Amino acid sequence: MSELVIQTRDLNKKYGDRYAVRHLNLEIARGEIYGFLGPNGAGKTTTIRMLLGLIRPTMGSIQIFGKDLRKEKMNILRKVGSLVEYPSNYGHLTAVQNLETVRRILDVPKSRIDEVLDIVSLTKDAKRPVKGYSLGMKQRLGIATALLGNPELLILDEPTNGLDPEGIHEIRELIRSMPKQHGITVLVSSHLLSEVEQMAGTVGIIRQGEMVFQDTISNLQQQASAGFRLVVSEPQEALQLVRGQGYIGQMENGGLKLGQISDPEVALLVKRLVDNNHAIYRVEENRRTLEDIFMQVIEQGGFQ
Amino acid sequence: MLLRALSADFLKIRRRGIWFLVFLGSLGLVAMQALNFGLRYDYLVGKVYKGDEWAGLIRETFSFVPIALVLGATLIASQIANVEHLNNSWKQLLALPISRVTVFTSKYLVGVIALTAACLLLFAGTIGLGLALGFGAEHIPYLKILKLSFLPYLGALPMLALQLYLSLTFKNQALPIMIGITFAILTMFAPNYPEILPLAWPFLAYYAKPAMPVASGIILFIFIYLLGTGHFVRKDVD
Repeated sequence: MSELVIQTRDLNKKYGDRYAVRHLNLEIARGEIYGFLGPNGAGKTTTIRMLLGLIRPTMGSIQIFGKDLRKEKMNILRKVGSLVEYPSNYGHLTAVQNLETVRRILDVPKSRIDEVLDIVSLTKDAKRPVKGYSLGMKQRLGIATALLGNPELLILDEPTNGLDPEGIHEIRELIRSMPKQHGITVLVSSHLLSEVEQMAGTVGIIRQGEMVFQDTISNLQQQASAGFRLVVSEPQEALQLVRGQGYIGQMENGGLKLGQISDPEVALLVKRLVDNNHAIYRVEENRRTLEDIFMQVIEQGGFQ
Repeated sequence: MLLRALSADFLKIRRRGIWFLVFLGSLGLVAMQALNFGLRYDYLVGKVYKGDEWAGLIRETFSFVPIALVLGATLIASQIANVEHLNNSWKQLLALPISRVTVFTSKYLVGVIALTAACLLLFAGTIGLGLALGFGAEHIPYLKILKLSFLPYLGALPMLALQLYLSLTFKNQALPIMIGITFAILTMFAPNYPEILPLAWPFLAYYAKPAMPVASGIILFIFIYLLGTGHFVRKDVD
């Protein structure tokens, strides 16, 4: 699992005086879904365009599958499928014809077209001109196009942008199935954490061109804990007891508010209270939502 | 690889009006002459070109070949490029395992093939019209009609190269089309231009000594193509 599919070192892209991407070190391991997060204009699309060789980095290196993108671009792109922002299908052609234009370049068997159409559930509408498709269908066709060449790495830029909840759900399920069913590593970008947290194992958060957080989603979730709340029968006495154990706590809305403590400590504390004949009604973890943490990271450029 | 790119490009330009333009341009010229000779048959065949009707037909047709070529090159180049511009598909295309040189070359080849097809149609159409006008099948001047159909085209190659370069570079097609139409109109005054001016070459390639305008036409085409390739390979794709 530790083999890196994408690794960038000190990647920079400068437009005039402004850095669109700065000192970016992206690390994506094989078989994972990597959520690439950041507000609009943070440099996600610029980074993705550099990964696909569409624009040249001002400085820094990109390694994909352990190869240098500058030297082995064709070999790398052969194993990469991509969807960059809004869909870019040929509106006057049908889904099958759209896939055929790409198939002729990739030189994969014709049967692959039916396979990818089936994966994204577009078989029924495959013979219709794409300009009559809904945005969700276009986006699915985009993913089908990305899958056509049997890629080992899928790079999806804002694949759920502008979709309705059902469309978002469909795309999310599709992405989630990629590593399991097809062994594909996925890089998916979004400006919404809620969209990515349900599928990604690792997230990178970018802000004003710089990476401010890159770790597993569970580590991000751990940051979310903001203490506990106990609701007991005699809060005043309980508070004395808790303070006597060396914890910091205070009364709040008839309950006890405690700081961040570990699971064994919680267990021990509860046991003490029970031993002292306190009735415990509730033990609650005060969680900040991931969205709150995300906003904090975005606004302050890191954790406090 | 180039053949694969080319076959993909031919699939993309389906129903984009390129083949329609090819037919319209070439057979339009023939239709114009059908009208010209149809309306003034007695005057043209009976008086002006008496005894050498085929040469007359070629001469009358030729006056509109340079403008049709430049106009055709402009519109076809724009349509070829617009397939990618309108669908925002450059990024998808260039993220595929295909070199940019191949992508660019394929677009140029589509343009060359489309205009070649138009010239072939002009060749066949002119012969057909001559026969329909009763000019006699026994002395059809095949070589002259071939020259009429293809020498101006060779002289117009730099225009095709320029229009492809502009259309592929600028997303907004207003500029390339405006330039192309201006050039097309300017070819009408070609007899007054110095030989060195590329705008005069479609005209000179058929009229005067063809060697210079044809050779320069081909060389300048290749030069503009290489320049465009160099630019296309380097540019950032949004």
